[in-house]
Amino acid sequence: MSKLGAVVEAVGKHEQFVRDQVKRARSDEKFARELTERWNKFKSEIPVSKTPTGIPLPRLALPEIDEAGEIARYLFGEGLPGEFPFLNAAYREMYLEPLQHNEQGSFKRSTSARSTSSNGAKKNGARPPEEPTRLFSGLMLAEDTNKRFHFLSAHQRSKRLSTAFDGPTLYGIDSDADGVFGKIGEGGVAVDTVEDMVRLYDGFEVGSPDFSASMTISGPAPIIMAMYIAAAKRRFGNGVVPNLRGTIQADIFKEVQAQNETIFPIEASLRFLLDMIEWTSANMPRWYPVSISGYHIGEAGSTPVQQAAYTLSNGFAYVEMLMARGADVNVFGPRLSFFLDCGLDAEYIALARVSRKIWAIGMRDVFGAGPKAQLFKLHTQTSGRSLVAAEFKNNLTRTAAELMLAYMNATNSCHSNSADEPFTTPSEEWIRLASHAQAILLEESGIFKHTMNMLSGSPGMKAVERAVEKAILDEFREIESLGGVMGAVENRYQRSQIQNAAHRYEEQIYDGTRPIIALNRYRNGSDEMPEVELARTPRSRQQLQVDRLKKFKARNAAKAQKELEKLAAVVETDENCFPALLEAAEVCSLGQISGCLQEVVGRFRPMV
Amino acid sequence: MPAPIRILTAVPICDGHDSAINTINLEFIRHGIEVVYLGFHRYVSDIVRAAIQEDVAAIGISSYNGGHIEFFADVVRHLKKLGASDIKVFGGGGGTITHDDAREMKRKGVDQIFFAGTPLTEMVAYVKKHYAKPRKARAKSNVDLTLARQLTEIEDAKGKVKNSKSKNSKRPKVIGFTGPGGAGKTTLIDELVLRFLKQDRQSRVAILSHDPSVVGEGALLGDRATMINSQDDRVFMRSMATRGQAGGLSPATESCLQLLAHSDFDYVIIETVGTGQEAMPFRNQLVDQTVLVMNPDYGARLQLQKIVMLDVADIVVVNKTDLDRAKAALSEIEHRLTQNKRDQQIVATVAKRHRDAGVDELFELITNSKSSVAAVSDRRNRKNRRSETAATSRKKS
Ligand code: B12
Repeated sequence: MSKLGAVVEAVGKHEQFVRDQVKRARSDEKFARELTERWNKFKSEIPVSKTPTGIPLPRLALPEIDEAGEIARYLFGEGLPGEFPFLNAAYREMYLEPLQHNEQGSFKRSTSARSTSSNGAKKNGARPPEEPTRLFSGLMLAEDTNKRFHFLSAHQRSKRLSTAFDGPTLYGIDSDADGVFGKIGEGGVAVDTVEDMVRLYDGFEVGSPDFSASMTISGPAPIIMAMYIAAAKRRFGNGVVPNLRGTIQADIFKEVQAQNETIFPIEASLRFLLDMIEWTSANMPRWYPVSISGYHIGEAGSTPVQQAAYTLSNGFAYVEMLMARGADVNVFGPRLSFFLDCGLDAEYIALARVSRKIWAIGMRDVFGAGPKAQLFKLHTQTSGRSLVAAEFKNNLTRTAAELMLAYMNATNSCHSNSADEPFTTPSEEWIRLASHAQAILLEESGIFKHTMNMLSGSPGMKAVERAVEKAILDEFREIESLGGVMGAVENRYQRSQIQNAAHRYEEQIYDGTRPIIALNRYRNGSDEMPEVELARTPRSRQQLQVDRLKKFKARNAAKAQKELEKLAAVVETDENCFPALLEAAEVCSLGQISGCLQEVVGRFRPMV
Repeated sequence: MPAPIRILTAVPICDGHDSAINTINLEFIRHGIEVVYLGFHRYVSDIVRAAIQEDVAAIGISSYNGGHIEFFADVVRHLKKLGASDIKVFGGGGGTITHDDAREMKRKGVDQIFFAGTPLTEMVAYVKKHYAKPRKARAKSNVDLTLARQLTEIEDAKGKVKNSKSKNSKRPKVIGFTGPGGAGKTTLIDELVLRFLKQDRQSRVAILSHDPSVVGEGALLGDRATMINSQDDRVFMRSMATRGQAGGLSPATESCLQLLAHSDFDYVIIETVGTGQEAMPFRNQLVDQTVLVMNPDYGARLQLQKIVMLDVADIVVVNKTDLDRAKAALSEIEHRLTQNKRDQQIVATVAKRHRDAGVDELFELITNSKSSVAAVSDRRNRKNRRSETAATSRKKS
């Protein structure tokens, strides 16, 4: 049995454990008393905030139960926010606005009850936690994206940037390579060298506790990570490295299953990834070196259940592989993070909640992980695919509804798509509205800022939870029967499941099973395409990128050659190759490094 | 029944958005269209080469990551340059291709762009209406164009060979690959191709690969998409649907093979669809050497004693020998081959591994065996002809 089978068993055992506790609470008086006392004490300690009209509201809402069996079911089956199995939330406090002086103080810090930000909770609510808003952006050249970053974060307390790279960068290809000119700077930013990396985050204090950078790249992730570190060192000296905060996507399994940006054979990709995770876990304790992603699986057309099941099983597979290399689950475990999609289907009402629970149980009971390594820390993005071209301003409403679902699932950070999503990298007009949508929900409205879980735990949500959990475990069994994640990948299992689901989805749009307003229902009768501002990279900018890359290569030719030889030699051995990548990143371009690695390990053979 | 429409689909370079094209492929094959799918992240030159060799009526491109005006226009230009402007270009890219873009693309020779919100049935109807016409003879032609069209004629006439006169006294070495699905035949062939190409600078290889299809229905011909080394002007690859024939080959295979075997190649490789234990697909003398590719996990599906090909294959490859069961499988098969008392070879490979020593060994076995040794004596003669082909093919890239 692979570890996935063991996870299925562990979840079953946990359900049994909960049933036993409920029974015991109903038969064992002493136990019942203990539980009830704990419950009442906890409830009485919940801080209270006041709405602008003066109504007092608890910062955390608990179900109105006083029977010991029901209390046991809640405490063991769901867990308080920040407590195992984390169904309700990874942390005890999220989204809340700081308490005013005259209000009661917030929870004391404990290991399992923390705010998302270590410094946010420091002064007991004196300082608000980081905003969960994190908008994905990247366009044209590094300077252009840098400008967009400053535009987006101008009003943020904490600077949480999220970087989109262009096609050539995502595929580890240099901008001066044959046949890619027209793709430079399209759909993301062009990064070829450490110098581009310096330009990209110019003006941001990358070592500050208020800054974090997320980079959406996976195939060449270890190379880009090395460039990021090299750029930070150039700007702030070697001492900055342990302070770097952020996330690099780096998840290779979902590339093979859905996003199609793998550039090395799977085994080699995994080796580079694990080398990087080991190195950053040891040297950059605040960095998240992998974001295990379901977003791309969902957007490629999977069902929500497939999305969660493949993401979780991919995560468990990484843990299994890292442990097989001798890594300590309590060192790397807390550095794993997750990324899910949130669309309009009913499953999304509870998808992230259930995922958090299954992850925690698997990590604790199958892999022996401690509390910090049990947390499913989640970034959510609203669904791009749910946004359509027909009467595209409706996309504002779709995204708003999805945002609501995402925050009801207690996501730790969130990207909201712009209404012009079907057409282009967003213009300032639409990305500003997308960002404001989150501010309206979290800051303007009273839905999340007084009580973090105002809308959680409804009977409907629970019904979805049960159905989704069962379906995810069924998927696990299927994957297990194919020899675990690797076996299933090699059999194209996830890919073919996703493709069939995607075809069904499109069929359902055109046969009307899936109503899409203004597309297959309530059409306005015109096929006109709206006028939207397109973000297209002018040829002159593309040429600039090529020219400066060529200069960089000429300037560093001799040094680059030496570093590449050293790198190739290390890759031939079993050693961790990340240190060699760090050195190469100083003088080599992305394409030079990926080419060098491909010489040694080969190229990825596409799966279609 | 008229021959099925054949089209090629692909996604441009630096673009992995394949969800739309996967859906459209499925829809096309359900409606009787044969789709050669080249996959995502593909260069213009790879797309055009494949379209010519596969002799498709049209190329469908799905583009999302921008630069579509240039990319589509490049494909059209490239086709024209190679004398294949009868191959039409159409496609889509959701909302990323605007109406203005589409107008410009049409001016540059693109047939049709499908916008976001187009029902799938509309695309099928378009293809059926516009790409089913009989193909006209081409004004300008070259080796690959001519060969590709001849293969189509053979295939659509259901196997009748046009009298293809052999220009060579020595024909290429023909190697047949067969074995159960999932054994890794395509990967193995692609890895061998890499070695063929590295061996010298001129030789050309032809590959005839098969995918299953039912009479009157479409087929997804996807082997090409998973090949990385075979996207090369020195490789001529043709994908065939079995069009209802059992046994791993198409009704036209034998005639197509005959044509290829009399064309200017050094090696012709033929790959069957995944076969069952009773299969013995190569019945003619055209195949010089047969290779059976097996997966160490055959136990679940096949019984060793019943695998007919084990008696006839010249070389048995046990691929994926990194799997747990490999050792046991190798010794079982070896035992079985010894009982045959023929001069059969067994090779253990891990084809997915870069520079795999087992694949090197197989390559040696194939290139040094008798018929290719004979071919060596004729090498000077062939080289002259080859440099002609090489020159024409170099012009293409
Ligand atoms: C799904 C999706 C993804 C998925 C792709 C999964 C996959 N395997 O395909 C994921 C999440 C992985 C993804 C990633 C990225 N994406 Co994306 N993605 C989309 C999204 C949401 C939908 C596209 C889609 O598949 N729609 C479903 C299809 C079936 O419908 P359709 O697009 O309307 O197409 C219709 C017709 O045009 C026609 N059609 C389409 N193609 C063809 C071809 C032929 C031959 C025919 C006949 C018809 C036809 O059929 C459809 C049905 O009517 C769009 C935005 C949007 N809402 O459209 C962005 C979008 C395309 N992505 C975009 C970008 C930038 C990216 C990334 C580069 C982001 C980054 N920097 O990391 C990456 C790159 C991924 C890669 N490997 O290339 C941009 C492109 C911007 C631009 N060109 O200016 C878009 C527009 C979003 C945006 N506004 O930023 N993406």
